Amino acid sequence: MTTAQSRDLLTWAGGVCAGLTAAGITHVVYVPDNPLSHVLSALEGYPRIRTTLATREEEAFGIAAGLYLGGVQSAVMLQSSGLGNSLNAITSLVVPYQIPMLILISMRGDAGEWNSAQVPMGRAVRPILESMGIPHATVESAETTAATVELVARTAFDTRVSGACLLPRRITVPRAAGKANA
Amino acid sequence: MPVAEADHGAARGGEGERMTRLDATRVLVRALGTDKTTPIVASLGHPAYDLFAAGDRHANFYTWGSMGLASSIGLGLAMARPDRRVVVLDGDGSLLMNLGSLATVGWTKPANLILIVWDNGSYATTGGQDTATAHGADLAAAAIAMGIHQSVTVRTESDLLDVFTRARTVDGPWMIAAKVEESPPTAKPPLDCVLIKHRFMASQS
Repeated sequence: MTTAQSRDLLTWAGGVCAGLTAAGITHVVYVPDNPLSHVLSALEGYPRIRTTLATREEEAFGIAAGLYLGGVQSAVMLQSSGLGNSLNAITSLVVPYQIPMLILISMRGDAGEWNSAQVPMGRAVRPILESMGIPHATVESAETTAATVELVARTAFDTRVSGACLLPRRITVPRAAGKANA
Repeated sequence: MPVAEADHGAARGGEGERMTRLDATRVLVRALGTDKTTPIVASLGHPAYDLFAAGDRHANFYTWGSMGLASSIGLGLAMARPDRRVVVLDGDGSLLMNLGSLATVGWTKPANLILIVWDNGSYATTGGQDTATAHGADLAAAAIAMGIHQSVTVRTESDLLDVFTRARTVDGPWMIAAKVEESPPTAKPPLDCVLIKHRFMASQS
């Protein structure tokens, strides 16, 4: 581990990168959002992890499925609002074909949200994942991010059931908590 | 370049020589011959049914859902396996559902991706409703606009074979929009999705 990488472990975004690496993930397919930009910056210190930007979250799931079929373990990284764009890909490709991937979700609409239009989907994320049979875990702190990401990813690849790791706003945007318009 | 060539070729071919999707699929499968490893990703419905009818191979990945994502699956595969040519059989209606995929392919430019779109101008699997390509939408031109420079429209079996043969050796990404007539499917691939995946992945190891 490089000095920069061990320093990264102190931040949630660096923890994501460390967790991805530990789980053997070498490709991240994503649709960006503001907190995830920190992960993308941190990933610059991890040249073995390739990134591909998709135009839409559903497309990202298709690309990730193709990567797995070609022998590459990947993560799809998206904002929670994009889960709604992904449902058909998850339910008619990822789940029935048992194609595993890590689903990294940057949460909107949870504690610290200021935009009411983000709240309904944010509230729906966990029930939707559960109804599709996608197990999920929520990152509890910056310090435990790496371990949580690695555990969810390893479980997904071992069992061939894709799993979601949720990144709550109290961790990704801590200063925004309780402050409207932050 | 190739666009103009193939369009001129098609003009010479004339309406009488238009091909059905099944015949066109057979052209590709015949061209692959005994090749057991070149992956072919088929969009759900008629493209997948015709691929199965033209020649079942373990390296055929039949989708049973996820309409629109065949080109995305192909892109992922192409990035994972730069040592293989990756063939995608999409439909016009399906690609129209995920046009952003052309932008991503045009950006990432996988040299080994051959995207073939069976363009019959209709949602044939769902009863033959018109697609936008029956009213002027040009998928090969859209691909060029998105940065997929090797983009061709073909209308005859000989043009399809010519371009496909070139695409297997000349770096892409390639987009081949093949104008086809609808033909009723004659067979269906296995319905077991996990079986399809296991066969496919074993063929790639």
